[in-house]
Amino acid sequence: MEIKQTALAGTLESSDIQIMLSKGTDGITIDLESDVEKQFGDQIRKVITDTLAEFNIDNVKVKAVDKGALDCVIKARTIAVAQRALQTQDQPAWEAF
Amino acid sequence: MNNEIVDLHLNDPQVRKTWEDFLTSLGITDFQSQETDAIDFTLGIYEGDKLVATGSAAGNILKYIGVCNKGVDQGSRFNTIVSALISRLFQQQIFHLFVFTKLKYSDSFQHVGFHELAHSDVAALLETGDSSIDDYLKAIPRVDDQTNKRVAGIVMNANPFTRGHRYLVEQAAGENDVVYVFVVNTDASLFTTAERFELVKQGTADLKNVIVVNGGDYMVSYATFPAYFLPTPDQQVDYQTTLDARIFRDRIAPALNIKTRYLGTEPLSRTTGIYNQVLQRELPPQVAVKIVDRKTTDDGTIVTATAVRKAIADDQLDSLAALLPPSTTNFINQHLDSLQFRIKKGMNINGN
Repeated sequence: MEIKQTALAGTLESSDIQIMLSKGTDGITIDLESDVEKQFGDQIRKVITDTLAEFNIDNVKVKAVDKGALDCVIKARTIAVAQRALQTQDQPAWEAF
Repeated sequence: MNNEIVDLHLNDPQVRKTWEDFLTSLGITDFQSQETDAIDFTLGIYEGDKLVATGSAAGNILKYIGVCNKGVDQGSRFNTIVSALISRLFQQQIFHLFVFTKLKYSDSFQHVGFHELAHSDVAALLETGDSSIDDYLKAIPRVDDQTNKRVAGIVMNANPFTRGHRYLVEQAAGENDVVYVFVVNTDASLFTTAERFELVKQGTADLKNVIVVNGGDYMVSYATFPAYFLPTPDQQVDYQTTLDARIFRDRIAPALNIKTRYLGTEPLSRTTGIYNQVLQRELPPQVAVKIVDRKTTDDGTIVTATAVRKAIADDQLDSLAALLPPSTTNFINQHLDSLQFRIKKGMNINGN
């Protein structure tokens, strides 16, 4: 599935992650900026990819700026941004939680 | 309101003074009205009654970002203010942002997800958002086997497309396999971007090896080169054009295999004159610069778009045929009323 519009969730504050989704044509591509990229980059990408999969999004450009977010934060921000991008904020995706 | 983001209303003299004093203490001192008038909104963070961070946006460009780190973790206020600016712009459906900053702050912006387009000894230009220069370059049409072709590039505002522009393109088309004509995207001229683009297309339609493309945000735009559209001191023109030239040299030319950039001599515009000098300083050896003398009409007048715009304002259309290709002349005849109306409404026709 493709997204309907560009969307943003999260902030650049410590322990948070800012995630932006925009239309892509090349599968899921992730541009990640993180101070702990070396240690946790793969894990961060995995959480984002898995969460997007719950929404059946398979064509999207992801830009993520991580400030040391825990997995649960990354997942929450990804759910928020995915729902905004799909314009389904008013129908919480319980199964994704 | 400790450490909360608030809107700063700069038309309140007291707020304005606090804001200017704070930025001045950080070494930002240029408060000329042409810079500050462009600001759409300004955010700030106070601690007690003291301003400790601020940032503004003008269109899709972040400006006047200043942060005091006293008593807090390095960078935390910077992240907060940039984050707030980005969210606010996103709410306004502005998804592609630029920042023009001192070189020493380039790293700070890269830390919050910006990518550097180019830097000089003093300044850097960065972008972030849902599209990037790579997307822009990917969308430009290519020819078969382009890496083995002789490719040239021309950047023009073409306000409007004259016989002078045509002459420049013809020279390049005769000497190369492919010529890219980049039309300036910023919509701040008498002829709109769509009109200028269409007239360049029509005026070069018979030249089969010419590809007309929109210059996007990366060539002579409000982001790379605001001085092209606003009166600006020479030194600043030099700073801006250096970045513009380096983006062309390091990002655009290699992606399209452009080996030569063609310029017209510029006897009349000071800003464009400086731009041409900077291009000659910055582009070689990666990209050769070829300067083509201005075309003159049969009786020796120099062909310039400035003269064309003046003729439109003065209703002296007889003189135009000598300066313009038929496609542009036709367009002006058909749209004379609306063009003259734009001039009456105050569109500046003496700039570029």
